Amino acid sequence: MFQPASLKGESPVPIDEKIRNKYLIIYLIIIILSFIPCSLFEYIYVLYLWNEGFHLLFFLFLPFNFLILIYILQISAILFSVLFLTIINLLFPPKEGIFSRDVRDKNYLFWNLRNLSKKWPLFISASNPFPWLKNRFTLRFFGVRIGKKTICDTCWISSEFVNIGNNVIIGMGSTLLSFGIEQDKFILKRIQVEDNVLIGAKCVLLPGTIIKKDSKLSAHSYTKFDDILKDNSIYSGHPAKIKEV
Amino acid sequence: MNNTENSHFKIEYISTSGVYKTPFTLIILLQLFVGGIVLVFINLWFVNQLYFLLTGKQFFSLGLTAEWYYWLLLPLNLYGNIFLFAFSIILFSAGINKILNKVYPPREGVFERGSKEWKYTHRRFWNAYFPIWLARALPIPWSDIFAYRFFGVSIGKNVVAYEGYIDPEFIEIGDFTMTSLNICIFSHLIYHEQIIIKKVKIGKACVVGPQTIVSPGTVMQDGAVLGANSYTWVGQELESDLIHVGTPVSMTFPIQSLEESQEKAERVISDPLENREGDDRI
Repeated sequence: MFQPASLKGESPVPIDEKIRNKYLIIYLIIIILSFIPCSLFEYIYVLYLWNEGFHLLFFLFLPFNFLILIYILQISAILFSVLFLTIINLLFPPKEGIFSRDVRDKNYLFWNLRNLSKKWPLFISASNPFPWLKNRFTLRFFGVRIGKKTICDTCWISSEFVNIGNNVIIGMGSTLLSFGIEQDKFILKRIQVEDNVLIGAKCVLLPGTIIKKDSKLSAHSYTKFDDILKDNSIYSGHPAKIKEV
Repeated sequence: MNNTENSHFKIEYISTSGVYKTPFTLIILLQLFVGGIVLVFINLWFVNQLYFLLTGKQFFSLGLTAEWYYWLLLPLNLYGNIFLFAFSIILFSAGINKILNKVYPPREGVFERGSKEWKYTHRRFWNAYFPIWLARALPIPWSDIFAYRFFGVSIGKNVVAYEGYIDPEFIEIGDFTMTSLNICIFSHLIYHEQIIIKKVKIGKACVVGPQTIVSPGTVMQDGAVLGANSYTWVGQELESDLIHVGTPVSMTFPIQSLEESQEKAERVISDPLENREGDDRI
């Protein structure tokens, strides 16, 4: 809520520069394809509502036109990127583990390609004014499990290998990273956040973190790699340690 | 150090100010529609003139004649529309906010989840969401301060407050205060199954450092500085003309002049161990 444009909580999908330059065409194709349904819709709108002599309906429905356009752009961008994503996943299915950070490593290459195909829908989902079209809506298409009644629209959530339970609150400016780069190593590990967990503002969860049911992570703290936080307890600090009450 | 111990709320952790999606969220559609209609009908005469220039016909015969130089006004029109759209929505939702406040006036305190306060804070927050989003999307960065003032946040003159999360009610910011990048100023906090609502007061000429969290009930006296990467407890008082650091705030430093701090830095670099023993602050 009430974040400035620089902190809109776009899901982090970094792309290696070598791969970005080589496969830029995928990104451009997704953008162009997602605008085709929009232009079709505009064509139909003008065709049916622009009558010579009676223009009131055309102008009256212009705000609705704008509103529907946002929906169409969002949904078509997601559909086309999911199409590319399934093709990429058929070529090489995503795996968890520790790999080398090298373009010759297939895990690293295909992680970058997945990111490249997800970039555009995530960008517009973070930029549109409707909070119900943000993280929760878009990330579910990419295989992130997010439960019901969960608040997670003002934080950065990685777009794969994340499980979030029901009734979870994730604070403003928190970051959930399921990938990590350590010198020449590249790490991909699943983050699990179980039901009724509360994560404060500006927390950082590193790959492999498991937060058990009903536990609470205080604001401004971070977890270690492969950290397991016990259920029904309060954690805080750098890195997060259990707090005895 | 004494001031922090006295003002400790009996609270174990600082969480966040979260807002659930409720059916009232759909007010964004109403706001968008109202802004769009205002925009369309104010622009109608201008588009009419341009249409006349292009085709020689008018949608509505207004009795005006268009000239070629109307095309020169097109950039001004496009740029003005952005502001017209945003400010008509801000005014409209400020009206809704006043109605909501009359129906159920906002109160400070600790409330249960699902109570009436909880419900109405959600409504006020969702009502303020879209206008502030728009104000922050405008090309002038200080327009969101203008928007915040409409929702009952009192912000003084010459304030920098446009690069962080700020709740839209129960906040007071004095003149000449600077808030830095990526800060959170919360007047609402989720705590177990309750919600804490308390007024945040930030005095004149304060500095709120980057990546900090200001919890509800915090009082920053005039000239206080909150250091980078720190957060305050609920109801903590920060004394004036001191630098406050820590997670949560537990240390204070005097504000030095630039020359003094430079001198000190040079001393530390030349003889780090000796200086550390003599310095009681570290």
